Amino acid sequence: MSQANDAAGPAASNMKPVQVKLVLLGEAAVGKSSLVLRFVNDEFQLNKEPTIGAAFLTQKCRLEDKVIKFEIWDTAGQERFHSLAPMYYRNAQAAVIVYDVTKASSLEKAKSWVKELQRQANPNIVIALTGNKVDLVANRKSRTHNDGEVDEDGEQDAQEIDEDEEDDEDYAITRQVPTEEASAYAQESGLLFFETSAKNGQGVAEVFTEIAKKIPLEHILSSSRGARAGGVNGSNGRVDLQNGANGQRLGGQQEKGGCAC
Amino acid sequence: MAAHLKPPHNVFILPTPCDQYNPLFDTVQSTENFVLQRTKASKNQFLNSFLGTIQNVFDGKQAPFRILFRRQLNAQALMIAEAEAQKNIDHAWTWIQVLDDAQEKEEWVLTKIRSLVTRADKGTDDITSDEKVRSASRAFRQTFNVLPSERLVSYYSCSFHGKMMNQGWMYISENYLCFYSFMLGMETKIFLELKDIGDLQKEKSKRGVFADAIRVVMKDAREYFFSNLFHRDETYDILVQLTTLTMERLLRNTALEHAPGQSNGDDPESVKDVFSVDVDNLDNNESLYSPAPTTRPLRLGLEEQKRDSQFQLRFNLPTSEHLMEESSATMVHGDKTDMFHGRIYMSESFLCFICTEANPCVLALPLFTIRRVERMNSRSAMYALNILTWHQMRLVFRLNGPRTQCEKFCGTLKTNLKLQVRAMRSLKPFLATCFSEALLADRPDVSEKDSGLGWIFEFPGDPKKLKNKSKTKLWLQYFKDNGRNLTMNKAATFPKLIRVGLPNKLRGEVWEACSGSLYLRAMNPGEYAKLLKDNEGKMSLSLEEIEKDLNRSLPEYEAYQANQGINRLRNVLSAYAWKNPDLGYCQAMNIVTSAILIYQSEEQAFWTLNVLCDRLLPGYYSTSMYGALLDQTILEHLLEKTMPILSKHLKKVDVQLSVACLPWFLSLFINSMPLVYAFRVLDCFFFEGPKVLFQISLAIMKVNGDELLASKDDGAFMDVLKKYFSTLDESAFPNSTNPKARALTKFNELMLVAYKEFESVTAEMVAELRRNHQLKVVHNIGSFTKRSQLRNIAPGKFSKDEMSVIYDRFYSALFYGRSQSGRGSNKQGEARALDTNTFVSFLGSIAHWAQVEDDQMEGDEIQPINGSSQHRRRGSTSTTSTTRERRRVVGKHFISRLFERFDENGSGILSLQEVTTGLGDIIHGDMMSRMQLFFDMHDLNKDGTLNRDEILGMSESLLFIYRYDDGDTYLPAISNFIRNAFEFAEKVEPVKKEEFVVEDEDDDDEDEDSKKSKETKEDESGTEASSASKPTTNGTTPQPQEEPEIQMSLPSFRMVVLADETLERLFDSGFSDSFKLLEPLDRQRGLFAKEVFDSLLSEGRKLAGSIAGGIQGRGRPQHTPSSSSSSSLPTADANKSTASISEKQDTDAVVVPVAPGAPVTATGAAVAVSAGVVADKIKESDDDEDDDLEEVSREDADVDGDDDEEDDEDGDGDDLLDEVEKFLTEFDLEGGGKKDLGLTSAAGAVDTTSP
Repeated sequence: MSQANDAAGPAASNMKPVQVKLVLLGEAAVGKSSLVLRFVNDEFQLNKEPTIGAAFLTQKCRLEDKVIKFEIWDTAGQERFHSLAPMYYRNAQAAVIVYDVTKASSLEKAKSWVKELQRQANPNIVIALTGNKVDLVANRKSRTHNDGEVDEDGEQDAQEIDEDEEDDEDYAITRQVPTEEASAYAQESGLLFFETSAKNGQGVAEVFTEIAKKIPLEHILSSSRGARAGGVNGSNGRVDLQNGANGQRLGGQQEKGGCAC
Repeated sequence: MAAHLKPPHNVFILPTPCDQYNPLFDTVQSTENFVLQRTKASKNQFLNSFLGTIQNVFDGKQAPFRILFRRQLNAQALMIAEAEAQKNIDHAWTWIQVLDDAQEKEEWVLTKIRSLVTRADKGTDDITSDEKVRSASRAFRQTFNVLPSERLVSYYSCSFHGKMMNQGWMYISENYLCFYSFMLGMETKIFLELKDIGDLQKEKSKRGVFADAIRVVMKDAREYFFSNLFHRDETYDILVQLTTLTMERLLRNTALEHAPGQSNGDDPESVKDVFSVDVDNLDNNESLYSPAPTTRPLRLGLEEQKRDSQFQLRFNLPTSEHLMEESSATMVHGDKTDMFHGRIYMSESFLCFICTEANPCVLALPLFTIRRVERMNSRSAMYALNILTWHQMRLVFRLNGPRTQCEKFCGTLKTNLKLQVRAMRSLKPFLATCFSEALLADRPDVSEKDSGLGWIFEFPGDPKKLKNKSKTKLWLQYFKDNGRNLTMNKAATFPKLIRVGLPNKLRGEVWEACSGSLYLRAMNPGEYAKLLKDNEGKMSLSLEEIEKDLNRSLPEYEAYQANQGINRLRNVLSAYAWKNPDLGYCQAMNIVTSAILIYQSEEQAFWTLNVLCDRLLPGYYSTSMYGALLDQTILEHLLEKTMPILSKHLKKVDVQLSVACLPWFLSLFINSMPLVYAFRVLDCFFFEGPKVLFQISLAIMKVNGDELLASKDDGAFMDVLKKYFSTLDESAFPNSTNPKARALTKFNELMLVAYKEFESVTAEMVAELRRNHQLKVVHNIGSFTKRSQLRNIAPGKFSKDEMSVIYDRFYSALFYGRSQSGRGSNKQGEARALDTNTFVSFLGSIAHWAQVEDDQMEGDEIQPINGSSQHRRRGSTSTTSTTRERRRVVGKHFISRLFERFDENGSGILSLQEVTTGLGDIIHGDMMSRMQLFFDMHDLNKDGTLNRDEILGMSESLLFIYRYDDGDTYLPAISNFIRNAFEFAEKVEPVKKEEFVVEDEDDDDEDEDSKKSKETKEDESGTEASSASKPTTNGTTPQPQEEPEIQMSLPSFRMVVLADETLERLFDSGFSDSFKLLEPLDRQRGLFAKEVFDSLLSEGRKLAGSIAGGIQGRGRPQHTPSSSSSSSLPTADANKSTASISEKQDTDAVVVPVAPGAPVTATGAAVAVSAGVVADKIKESDDDEDDDLEEVSREDADVDGDDDEEDDEDGDGDDLLDEVEKFLTEFDLEGGGKKDLGLTSAAGAVDTTSP
């Protein structure tokens, strides 16, 4: 694991952490909660209970000379929980939109989330597109596997569950979302892009470090300090700051996120 | 050709005796059998308005016009029709003449009227048995011009506070809240759609003295204040009840998804409706009791529904139960001496008793558990019923009421008991599944199939620590004393036993008994198994979602790591999804169900889930989750009331309560608290209902108040709560010296706080709060859904605001379309798309020309009864009805062709996207594309050219679109169009008529037409009618023999259009501008326009007919004189190019004949008149004007006596269009002089509005 997880050491504690509100969005059962769990506790639960409403977790990590405290809102994925999402993504500085590389429809859902965030959320929100479950499509197997078998979603889900139960990559599932396709989309829409596996930890920490790099931390820090010291509405301070920071981050969107593959 | 005459709707009433000689009424006309009367009108405007005011203020408001039927001399007359407006009564009067010369007398006439009323107004208020409602409903529908199917619920005298206070009447119908007042010449009309109401508040009157006012806030923040309501609370309750029903429909209307639980390959129509508690069903229920042809006033039905649902709620009964009898009663339980004083209720299959006094008890006894009922000889000659249950428990009920009431009660009981005999057979197998029976019989257990997973995989928690054994003993004793499972009386000790926590093996069953799911299971044996069997092998979206979560439900519990647990969970969740496909499956249900399954069998859990989703947590798991959001709003409200400091703090640091609390409510604390505690909460929840969730949530806030006040953001807030939940088992007072206090866990403390400090949070309070907040929540969801749907629509060139309007109109059309076509019977697939009917109302809401009344489009014609008498009057009546038929056809065809154009994928329904794209093409396209559109729309045979009929169709469509235009240029423009079209079209070889295959009867008509016009002039009117009804849309129609077929290509069409300034303007900007998105069509005007529409379109059709006739006539060697034999007016001779005066115009304008091409000035005058009338009508306050108009139209009636539905304005419309006809006739004549254009034979005949 990278520096991100073990960053909250004693050395960091004397610094005032920068709070970053981050929200996870994506279709049901793509592994949002698992991704967070990997990031926060560095563990993996095979049958993670579905998130109801949203779960809240925090994790500190160090970036260069600063300590960042991620406040992570891990939201429910089922379509009908959609109407609750604004409650969680309002004021968020970062969003991780997760899809499942073995399920093409999940990328479509991810795209609609991107659209919604870009119109509805904080205008400066840093969005990372993350294709999860790459462990299921390890390259060595995905080419040889019988392609025709996973045409239907239902069938594929069943396989996926079998896969989970067997707890090992005895056989792989066909990838339905090519890296290039998603990456191209991410670039076009100005998103960070990663492929991850919450199961084996691949690429998870990078998602958060890259986000941390991209967020204008100084501004958050100064503004939240000011806001807290004055005892006024903290979140308003945060929002204002971001509006102020707006101009500075223009152009940064072109940068392509590190691809973990 | 059979002539149809449509009797007016909304006018005829069930014959009601009344006095013919009423000082308030003047007789206007009378015949042997009928009298037409109107209220005494004075020339004095003030007196008039004073009378109007009086009539308006007092309940005894009578319609100003009525028709009486005279029976034998000296007998009381019968009122058979009444109307608010002259035009309506005139129509009725005309129609009634058909009956007048009937030989049969009274009986026949009355039968006719009755059948007419019941037939035309099936399921409406007109056949309601309450006369007052009937007339109020009539007044309401005529005043506000709503569809006859709209049912009035209630009406109240009240005053509206606008600029000044207006005393008047509030009308509440299924869909609208209306107010009408007429005060000293000032008319006030308010028309509100229930679906747009955002809030309802009870208020004090403006001066703050009386609590007699209601404030209505619309979702766009408009406010209306009504006071002086004598029955304010009743009014409020009705409004709340109706808006609730409306909300439910609205939610369904804008749901994000299609029914997710619906099988992928299923026929959508087979799906059962979730919101079956609808006004329609009410009627169905009613019809069980009153199969009479009359319906009862809707209000009674709504009251009944409300009473029933309160009754069901109080005793946790299935929704199939209806309150049938009730009485005050005293219960004596067994051989004990305790007396319970309370009330006894009876429904189809339950006998219920409730006592709220010092010794409370609640009992709901299914009738099939009763073995014997005896009437006892009681001391005070009172009625006493001695009831013996199947397990020999004896209950004595003494009925305290009048003798007759008691006898009625006993009678109903007897009947109901007989009906339950069949159900008694299923009692025994059912009891075998109850653990309580096993316990009492000292049998070890129930079968594995009938028990929860806990029997196999152990129950969570340490049974010793939970004091399982001693609790079980207590319950055993309770069962012996108070009955068990189905017969259990919930006495004073019951709540205590619940609150200490239920013993493991009894938990499932007591949950059932508390929630009422026990009754559902007992009364629906086998349904669960059947659901699973019937749907075996089918797939649905919900099933896929369930499958994803099966491994993720309470994974720490052993059973859910094995197939046994997973399978049970799958079965229960899928069975529910099949039962309620609109809800399907929602994450959180898996968690709740997996918890329940530890204590309950599959079937038990299935029914408990039903009660959870339908009654305890309504709307929680629905696709919009409005119930969960609603309860969050309520929780915030309660927090503000009970802990204002904390509430203020949370607002200050911008923490939303629901980020923490929503999961608590959705999963009933199961994934927040340790399982053992969550089950304790569930025990209370099933017994006391959702209020427990609020109490506990508030208690959690209270207990953690200090720490929460210290938290500065939602992160810290969440951390506090998370930490608290993980330490629930710790001592609440670890430092206390008192060992008892030290033993108290934090959970105990929580429950104490919940019950002690938040005792005031009652079930009634929660219900009330839900009612108060639901409108806002639903509208919020609505606007969210709107935002997210609009995000996924490609808007083309529409602005955001325009898209918003399109969206609103789209769903509005859907909403009302659905309510008309039988609520709930709509197909699932069409949930979010327009069909042709709803498309019509959608277009009508954005484009004036498209305003066509639905029932006009499909109105069923009722054939006049007496053929011979009809025949005599055919000249007048048939013309009108066929013209109406004709105009309906033109409008319908035009709009349906537009529909087909919009429907890109040919699915027969229009999605929002298709509508947006289609409208965008029209509005934002260029002139060429619009011309192309019109060309394509009218090129019916798709040969790339317009033939004669298609050109005529085009002209009719243009006329249709232009019919509301106030200008005077379009008529010549259209005739120019026709002339030019024929001139520029390519001529094809003349075709002999015989070579044509006769494709439809229109050919015959035409044929007939030409023949007849040559032969006889007597049958003029019939001929005219048939020629006029010739649809243009029916493909190739053979032409008169000598006529060459013509073909017009798109380029020549363009040329023709561009040749005319008016048409050019239409295609350049006029047509696209006719769609008003941002400037809403005035509602009043819209309504009014509908009235006028009839006549205008009718005349339009005449015109078209004459044009068609003219063209047919072309090339004929000689003109057929069009003199309509029956017309006594000089205008009849239309083939002379002299001044022609329309019959009707003798009362106002003189028509000047105009040469083609020149502006039709006289028409302009007529238009001006009609426009003036329009304005007056809109004001509808000027009495002088009205009087004049009435006079005019009465004269009209005298002259042509046909104009069934037409009103004053129609008369002007007639004038206008008659004149156009004349003009066209002229044109044809002149054309005929120049070229070989002939004169129409039918043109004159069209006017034949014979006296």
